[in-house]
Amino acid sequence: NPKGAVKDSVLLMGKSGSGKTSMRSIIFANYIARDTRRLGATIDVEHSHVRFLGNLVLNLWDCGGQDTFMENYFTSQRDNIFRNVEVLIYVFDVESRELEKDMHYYQSCLEAILQNSPDAKIFCLVHKMDLVQEDQRDLIFKEREEDLKRLSRPLECVCFRTSIWDETLYKAWSSIVYQLIPNVQQLEMNLRNFAQIIEADEVLLFERATFLVISHYQCKEQRDVHRFEKISNIIKQFKLSCSKLAASFQSMEVRNSNFAAFIDIFTSNTYVMVVMSDPSIPSAATLINIRNARKHFEKLERVDGPKHSLLMR
Amino acid sequence: MEEDTKPLLVPVGGDESNYGIMNIQFNPEDFKCKRPFHVEPTNIVSVNDDMQRVTDEASAMNKRIHYYSRLTSPADRALIAPDHVLPAPDEIYVYSPLGTAFKVDSCTDGYGKNSSIVTIFMIWNTMMGTSILSIPWGIKQAGFTSGIILILVMGILTLYCCYRVVESRKMIPLVDTSNWEFPDVCKYYFGSFGQWSSLLFSMVSLVGAMVVYWVLMSNFLFNTGKFIYNFIHDINVTDIVPGTNGSNRVICPSATSGHTPQNRSVMFSSGNDTGFELFEEWWNKSQTVPFYLIAVLLPLLNLKSPSFFAKFNVLGTISVVYLVFLVTVKAAHLGIHLEYNWFAENDFFVPEFRILFPQLTGVLTLAFFIHNCVITLLQNNKNQENNVRDLSIAYFLVGLTYLYVGMIIFASFPSPPLSKECIEQNFLDNFPSDDIMSFVARIFLLFQMMTVYPLLGYLARVQLLRQFFGNAYPSIFHVLILNVAIVGAGVAMARFYPNIGGIIRYSGATCGLAFVFVYPSLIYMISLHRAGQLTWPALIIHIFIILLGLANLIAQFLL
Repeated sequence: NPKGAVKDSVLLMGKSGSGKTSMRSIIFANYIARDTRRLGATIDVEHSHVRFLGNLVLNLWDCGGQDTFMENYFTSQRDNIFRNVEVLIYVFDVESRELEKDMHYYQSCLEAILQNSPDAKIFCLVHKMDLVQEDQRDLIFKEREEDLKRLSRPLECVCFRTSIWDETLYKAWSSIVYQLIPNVQQLEMNLRNFAQIIEADEVLLFERATFLVISHYQCKEQRDVHRFEKISNIIKQFKLSCSKLAASFQSMEVRNSNFAAFIDIFTSNTYVMVVMSDPSIPSAATLINIRNARKHFEKLERVDGPKHSLLMR
Repeated sequence: MEEDTKPLLVPVGGDESNYGIMNIQFNPEDFKCKRPFHVEPTNIVSVNDDMQRVTDEASAMNKRIHYYSRLTSPADRALIAPDHVLPAPDEIYVYSPLGTAFKVDSCTDGYGKNSSIVTIFMIWNTMMGTSILSIPWGIKQAGFTSGIILILVMGILTLYCCYRVVESRKMIPLVDTSNWEFPDVCKYYFGSFGQWSSLLFSMVSLVGAMVVYWVLMSNFLFNTGKFIYNFIHDINVTDIVPGTNGSNRVICPSATSGHTPQNRSVMFSSGNDTGFELFEEWWNKSQTVPFYLIAVLLPLLNLKSPSFFAKFNVLGTISVVYLVFLVTVKAAHLGIHLEYNWFAENDFFVPEFRILFPQLTGVLTLAFFIHNCVITLLQNNKNQENNVRDLSIAYFLVGLTYLYVGMIIFASFPSPPLSKECIEQNFLDNFPSDDIMSFVARIFLLFQMMTVYPLLGYLARVQLLRQFFGNAYPSIFHVLILNVAIVGAGVAMARFYPNIGGIIRYSGATCGLAFVFVYPSLIYMISLHRAGQLTWPALIIHIFIILLGLANLIAQFLL
């Protein structure tokens, strides 16, 4: 049932129980929906409020493994679901015992994509990798990746191995977001100039809804490689607390004798984090710099036409 | 959501001096060991390359778990971390050299749950160990009366120094010391010299203990094997060493003018002559058995985590209790043989006061040693204000046990036929290998030592490799080289110098110098001086203690 304009969507699909709901919850910092297993498949389209990267809407669909009623519903809604899709993210449970069936459902999704949104980008996540023994992970992932790439032809898919219990989930989604931004190199160059002008140690650009790192610049080696995910988790946790007070998070300044860090809204779809290790520079100076840079980066977004830039919708 | 009514900001811990992270969501009830690990505030605040105690992965996982727990209600198990993803907790083992290496149930948040009795028992259990085997020899070296006096005096002295160790953290102002062990305190006062020297002395005690263990294990394995062989082949062996006659035979293995005891035996049996000689050749206490142990123990040392062995802790207690029982039974059979000669030598007896008494003090330094881990052990005490009392009671019980075993063995050693000089450095050596009771004791001790040995090796490896390479298991080669070195030292000692009394007193006096005598007193004096409270009596007393420690060490080499 077409309900007004169909928005451009990101499809998150996979078998029921493969971990999509948890994934969405974690990436987008919203509370886990009540136990959806009782209700059968996730029927999500009309209620999806999750937007990111502009006006992309995230839709979850259980694909395959459900009962006949859901199968029919899915088939009847197929064109609706697969039209105007920008990105398809398909989740495979690495522990699944029905590899044939999984591939079959995946292929039928691909057919639908080919028919309705042939320009969509395809990403495959081999999920729940923590359940595989550490020394086997690379091997198993390589196998799956080869199979998936083969099955996906003529479409191209990019594969990641993920688990919610290590940094791979965050990195995979950051890579996905990174690939969805067409002018990302230009963005990085501008970010580097900005950082060098204001003499910052590190500057990060986050996607606004998910705090996934879109781009970053650092002027020297930092010790902690997990800092992006940690900051993202901390801020998302803080946002959850703010929302309990019906407040919304706008900006943060953290300062001590060794450093000063500023997190602030940047453009309509991004947040910026600036880390200065010279605490003698007053906050006001850095904040003015950020404000001026904001105008510049917004101009950058407007330069590219609406078709090409995902940052502007 | 049910959590909506809970306050958002809950301070961590009830301790107002705790600068821990203001944790947004933790409920104090969650404290009791639900949190698997803890990120040090220094990870966030400090920019220098201090060796951090928590890896980057663990710290990232901590943040992840905090965040995920906000996303669900407590009833929903969807985002609870499964066991296999949690980083292994830093295994906390405490050991006392020659005592039991003990795995502490880490409730590192500082809220202890052990009653006083349990704490006292833990301290007793950790301190009690194989040095009990050398106490009778030590009393013999010092003389009966002076031996008893020395046990009491050393007990009180080491107790006082232990008390100083426990109190040393509290005198440090402005810093959160709740996680600190004594080496951290040394590092605070003496910088990296303190850190490295406490590592060095800790290594001395550990490696010394492991060498003693190897010698003892070879001894016990040899005797056990001999007993079993003789039992199977029904051989009635009479060792050609002097000893008493009768059913409770006590022997004097080193009667042949003082060199290392031979294992020759004259055999009266109906068995196979050549078979027995072959056995004697292949099963020799110092030549071959130490090498056989390598096959069993070297692989165990290479294990990444010896937590399996911590389960056998109870063997240590059983061994000590059995030894006390054995001593009592033997004394009941042998009777008391004491004669008081105050200073004069005698064929069968030793004078009450002897010039060799520093050998006893060296042994006692290691026998009463728990200073490297007493803080951790007392941390789990439910009522912290009773710490000093419980520590004193534990020391009293340990001293009592040593006194009992030492005195009884010394007193009941059958002196008219044998001389008191015959008391061996390992008193079980005074019983022949076919004696059932000591056979059982040797078996118990053998198994107990085999389970403690990998734990000691693990502790040595963790401390040494972490200090040098930052990683407790850098590669199999590093670990293998270290283990081969330690095992080699043990084998060499078992081969050439299997005198455990000697090894114990040298290593005891050395590591005791740092941890028992010098550091606690020096730190106390410095902290008093910084607080402007140093008085002349305190200064003199503690300098005297330091000099005693030095004298203890020097005397080991001179006498």
